[in-house]
Amino acid sequence: MLRRSLLALVVAAGPQAPPLRAEVPAPRTHRVEIQGFAFVPSRLEVRAGDVVEWTNRDLAPHTATDDDGTWGTKAVKHGASSRIVATAPGLVAYHCAFHPRMTGAIVVTP
Amino acid sequence: MTRLNTALLSAVALLSAAGVAHAQAGLNDLEIAHAAYTADVIDIEYAKIALAKTKNPEVRSFAELMIRDHTAVNEGATALLAKLNVEPQDNAFSQALVSGATAKKAELDALNGAAFDRAYAANELAYHRLVNKTVGETWIPTVQNPEVKAFLTQALVTFRVHEDHAGHMVGALNGAAKN
Repeated sequence: MLRRSLLALVVAAGPQAPPLRAEVPAPRTHRVEIQGFAFVPSRLEVRAGDVVEWTNRDLAPHTATDDDGTWGTKAVKHGASSRIVATAPGLVAYHCAFHPRMTGAIVVTP
Repeated sequence: MTRLNTALLSAVALLSAAGVAHAQAGLNDLEIAHAAYTADVIDIEYAKIALAKTKNPEVRSFAELMIRDHTAVNEGATALLAKLNVEPQDNAFSQALVSGATAKKAELDALNGAAFDRAYAANELAYHRLVNKTVGETWIPTVQNPEVKAFLTQALVTFRVHEDHAGHMVGALNGAAKN
């Protein structure tokens, strides 16, 4: 079942990301490539506190937007990246707001 | 060749694959770059007409997508040409594209409401079919510069998504017209 607010959008893209939650030790950064109008990998398993970073390899801009509409990156241009921090366990389904057939999922574990 | 291209662009839906291939024969890399850029600009112009006229949210969303994506592709093309330190070359096919688009824009300007939406959607489908066939079957196989070839290959991925999207839009609008 999808849950809301599982991921917190980091306002700034790239290296300006603010510090992660202090109680989560050694957070990892998981990278998703956007290429050929697909999220690669399309399904990701992360721990709460980990960072998910999307990098757009396509010419067209894309977003990663929660299906519930609770979070979403800004338009990510070719060669640019944007990040979110996973904040609570659960399954998050997301898509590109510009090309809704592009879909992905993130499983957040405690 | 100009006459053939003009005819081709005024009746894009009726084109044969052989006709496209013949019309495109002989363009050099810089002419292909110019024609590709021109084709993008034309689709942006169609989209701007749609935004000014349509009240259909799906058509509006598609037009916004065309402006966003084709602008991004042309920004990439401009950056690549700057990197290669070359200028695109105007040519008969680019001119025929513009001529065909002028006629199509006049046709679209004369329509309103659902008739406009259907005409815009049908043109988007036909236009992307034509351009995608040209890019995939003629320009990519014949272009010499590997970076231009790679760029066109990547752009074609975007344009094929648009063609598919346009096909669904045509179907939805035709379905709505029957109901």
